[in-house]
Amino acid sequence: MTLGEAVDVALTVNGSRREAQVEARRTLADFLREDLGLTGTHLGCEHGVCGACTVILDGEPVRSCLMFAVQARDATVTTIEGLAVEGVMNNLQEAMRESHGFQCGFCTPGFLMQITAMLADNPNPTEAEIRDTLSGNICRCTGYESILNGVLRAIGADVPGSHQSVP
Amino acid sequence: MEATASQPIAQRFIGESVKRSEDPRILTGAGNYVDDVQLPGMLHACFTRSPMAHARITSIDISAALEQPGVVAVFTGPQLQELVDPEAVSPGFFGPAPFKYTVLATDKVRLVGDLVAVVVADSRYRAEDAAALIEVDYEDLGPIASAEAAFDSSGTPIFEDLGSNVLTQPTKSSFGDVEAAFAAADRVVTARIRQHRHQNVPMECRGVVADFDPGTGELMVHGSNQGPGLAKMVMVAQLGLEPDKVRVVCGDIGGSFGLKIGTSREEIATALLSKHLGRPVKWIEDRNEHLMASGHAREETLDVEAAVTDQGDILGFKVKMVVDTGAYPGMGGMLGGIVQAMFPGPYSLKGFEFEFSAAVTNKASYVAYRGPWAAETFTREVTVDLIAAELGLDPLEVRRRNIAFQPADNPASMLTGRSLASCTARESLEHMTKVVDIPAFRARQAAARAEGRYLGLGLATYIEAAPGPRGGGGGLGNEAMRMALDEDGTLLVFTAQMPHGQSHETTLAQVAAEEFGVPFESVRVVAGDTDRVPFGFTGGSRSATMAGGASLHTARALRQKVLEASAHLFEADPADLEIVAGQVGVRGVPVSARPLAQVVAEIRGTDGLPEEVDTSFEVTNAYDGGEGGWSGGTHLAIVEVDVETGLVEVERYVVVEDCGKLINPAVVEGQVRGGVAQGIGAVLLERSAYDENAQFLAGTFMDYLLPTAMNVPRIEIHHLETVPLDPDVNFRGVGEGGMIIAPPTLVNAIADALSPFGVRIEEQHLPPLRILELIGALD
Amino acid sequence: MLPTSLEEALSALAEYGSEAKVLAGGQSLIPLMSLRLAQPGVLVDLNGLGALSGIEANGSGVRIGAMTRHRAAERSEVLAERVPLMAEAMPLIGHAAIRSRGTIGGSLSHADPAAELPAVALATEATLIARSLRGGERTIPASEFFEGYFTTVLAEDEILCAVEVPAAPPSTGFCVTEVARRHGDFALVGVTAAVTIDQGLVTRARIALINVAERPVRAEQAEAALVGAKPEAAAWAEAAAVASSEIDPSGDLHATPAYRRKVARVCVKRALETAARRVGGGR
Repeated sequence: MTLGEAVDVALTVNGSRREAQVEARRTLADFLREDLGLTGTHLGCEHGVCGACTVILDGEPVRSCLMFAVQARDATVTTIEGLAVEGVMNNLQEAMRESHGFQCGFCTPGFLMQITAMLADNPNPTEAEIRDTLSGNICRCTGYESILNGVLRAIGADVPGSHQSVP
Repeated sequence: MEATASQPIAQRFIGESVKRSEDPRILTGAGNYVDDVQLPGMLHACFTRSPMAHARITSIDISAALEQPGVVAVFTGPQLQELVDPEAVSPGFFGPAPFKYTVLATDKVRLVGDLVAVVVADSRYRAEDAAALIEVDYEDLGPIASAEAAFDSSGTPIFEDLGSNVLTQPTKSSFGDVEAAFAAADRVVTARIRQHRHQNVPMECRGVVADFDPGTGELMVHGSNQGPGLAKMVMVAQLGLEPDKVRVVCGDIGGSFGLKIGTSREEIATALLSKHLGRPVKWIEDRNEHLMASGHAREETLDVEAAVTDQGDILGFKVKMVVDTGAYPGMGGMLGGIVQAMFPGPYSLKGFEFEFSAAVTNKASYVAYRGPWAAETFTREVTVDLIAAELGLDPLEVRRRNIAFQPADNPASMLTGRSLASCTARESLEHMTKVVDIPAFRARQAAARAEGRYLGLGLATYIEAAPGPRGGGGGLGNEAMRMALDEDGTLLVFTAQMPHGQSHETTLAQVAAEEFGVPFESVRVVAGDTDRVPFGFTGGSRSATMAGGASLHTARALRQKVLEASAHLFEADPADLEIVAGQVGVRGVPVSARPLAQVVAEIRGTDGLPEEVDTSFEVTNAYDGGEGGWSGGTHLAIVEVDVETGLVEVERYVVVEDCGKLINPAVVEGQVRGGVAQGIGAVLLERSAYDENAQFLAGTFMDYLLPTAMNVPRIEIHHLETVPLDPDVNFRGVGEGGMIIAPPTLVNAIADALSPFGVRIEEQHLPPLRILELIGALD
Repeated sequence: MLPTSLEEALSALAEYGSEAKVLAGGQSLIPLMSLRLAQPGVLVDLNGLGALSGIEANGSGVRIGAMTRHRAAERSEVLAERVPLMAEAMPLIGHAAIRSRGTIGGSLSHADPAAELPAVALATEATLIARSLRGGERTIPASEFFEGYFTTVLAEDEILCAVEVPAAPPSTGFCVTEVARRHGDFALVGVTAAVTIDQGLVTRARIALINVAERPVRAEQAEAALVGAKPEAAAWAEAAAVASSEIDPSGDLHATPAYRRKVARVCVKRALETAARRVGGGR
């Protein structure tokens, strides 16, 4: 089998069984975006640093740019499109909206998936733990504070208020 | 029934952290970015790029690429240039370029990453496969790797058309009495202030999908541009199409920070190919291409002489600025005017002399990056601290002594011309001293030093013309806006802004909803389609005042139009009518209120209305910025430097800012924090590094380091929201300020931390290696 | 290739030779492929080989299957208990999503001198177990495994199957200290250290340095200098000075040789101090 050869892939994405024939060298990210039309997963660097393409594979956060689609055979994948339930944003999404978590939205899918995986593992992280876990995701717009606040709000922790208008 | 009808309450949205209209799609993966556009029959372009900085192309062989499976076309530079309209002038930054160049390199390459050929194939993988097979031979012409080399006339001109590598010969201006200022000085403090090459790095790279329809002769461009109208102008000119045949549509844009104001050569090439092939063609830049060739900013050297008294009065500056503008035309050559105009900032000076020159080099083009003129603030604010250090004074006191007083009735002006009316630099500085207990810090700093720990505190003050007071030549032009009241009561806002993270769909709707009198949810902001929105762009921190003001005044005009038409329906004077919470009614008579949709339908259904009644319910307006006003503030950082490793930690960061009335505090704070984070990146992490042969060294995210959640502390923000100059519009721009002022704030803090080592810091980039070099810790 | 048994994988390697690359976690190889810096003709993907995963007690130490994910090692209680030095290094490897896929064997075979695990293998005196169809199984001491930049003694047709890490002697403290531009980046310089203290004297020291040579290296002279020394600041400083003099680092975009030598000294000193403090159960 060469890397340009077509192979069959069947997996579960956001609860649905999906089957396709793809080139062996096709990344999971390109497969999700182009073959399955799930363009919510974004590509920010394609070399595994920015984290925008993070999805959850069998319960673990992974860089979908650093996996071949064929390696996700029989796996269960969750992407950002799989977070809302019947069109209603989940608790984390609502908390991010409340916190003005993101600006341009390009890094957003990676953050939401990494945070989702983190909270499954550790439902009550401290701010230091959140920063550590999210240090593999780059946001260029926000300076991260609003994202941290979104996570804190999602877990029901106190959100430090840090601005004030001067009378 | 009348007794129970309640008075509708006017809804206030301005000043509230209203939740973003953008978020439901962005948080669910339903955004629509340019790479999400997939069209039937779409092809993919990939460029072959130069590994050489400056070289003649002696041969190019595309035969192997043409034979690859899936390849539809391969073009070299000369071949592609034949598709360009012969009348077209090479595009520059806002208008024609100062010299001629081609879309792909035709005879020689001018930077690492220059475009040599392009492949179009049925998949990106296959396009990349083929592009890698194009064989090019080069003859090295010797790289021009620095501004110094460019000014040395012995080097080969990079652009023959220019004749040399000097884009702007040294040009000097002076203001006030420079000689008198220097004659009165006790001493002259000198410094060579350097900003380093770094770049915007939006998380979404550049990209385009060009879709030419041979049947209609129309070109549809799906872009990622800060100004779709600007992109359209370039496409019209380069492809030789009539303006009515070109439409540019931008969906969501994954950041830009100034980069995507320009229309890139790659985008032009992609459109040319789509027109030639009659099929949609997509080009999505990868991160390596982006870091190498999308554009860089800030490589500038400013030689400063400051005339000062021993007491700390700054009498004047003499400044010589040299910009390394890279290769192809960008913004670099145009910086002189604005850096010069803004250099005095809020300080009163007696004399100021400014000389500007710009060089062309074999590096990436100089692009606009968040506060492109920031060299003035960086140089001034770092120099103020150097002055204080040299005189043995407190930098805070030196600022207090020199910031101009602004009596409301008699505002001062900058020596370079513009009025400082509404400038609150002094207030922000004083407020900072209330927020941060500086004496307590000094005690802590002394105790820490005794333990071998090095803490530092730095501050810096700035003003930003966003837009600045009316007059004085620094205005932001006019901002057009169209609003229409739909049959269903929806207020449609067609903005010339092109949001790419700034939340315009939310903020402009807040202003329109409040002014017009409808619920926030009834407003729909439309942007990014040259067929539907007025010409314009997002940039220069213009949105708050210009688009916010346009939204207010257009909504006001449309409301008046609706009330005048409604007067016939209600048989009342328009002055007695109001629109509140989406209902039109007679003021003080709640029962009279009817929903807007019903009112529109009834008015349009009424026969025999007087001819002067306009039932289009649509207004197009242009706003000139009104009386305007300055943005600005003071930032303060406390850092700790590990003098054994050179690592710097930002322990505390405080912002006191004044951007007038906040439309949406959460949006304003997001802009401030994002800008500060980029400033932290610039100082501690980010550098678009080249070696001495103009080979690019920072082509991945392992080399070009962006700040992460571990590098950016929580940022305390205090808003001044001062008294307006304008009776209606006191929203001022805030997008660029954080990035303008954070670098000098941090550099001053680091210099303070290292003061026991006798270190003098005149540069912006301070990675661990540099810190240890500065303190003499390396052999 | 997606072999389902080790034999199948070894056969594929034997067949394709230099054309083939082994794909473990892919967190280093796939970026190189994406940047077109690596273009293997055939990938032999070990992800289907469940038998190569897992951490188990082995004597007083542990045996770790080559395909064990970093994340599994990070969570492993047996590893934390028996080889704390390695456990301490785990969270420093890349970022969470990288550790989900990255593998112990992949990191060791990739032999990046800037990576943590090769240095950990040296400091713990681990043994690597490799197999080929041609030569069967062989065991390689970590000290002989790493050759140079991204190269090991593994033959083209050989697969690293497991690593056996012995437990350190009693009364040993450990520390990983590194200096990176950002948390999660490859270290500019790093140190993995183990210090054994008996009856008030240092009886054994292991110091392995990250990113100061083309492969991970032990600071053997510094280790020797520590034996018999009193566990106090002067000893750590002296050993740090020796360690920095016995390396010859190179420079790159982020650090010069002088920087690396200086910061290696700082890291060795800090790592030894902390390791010694931990002997008595300190932090």
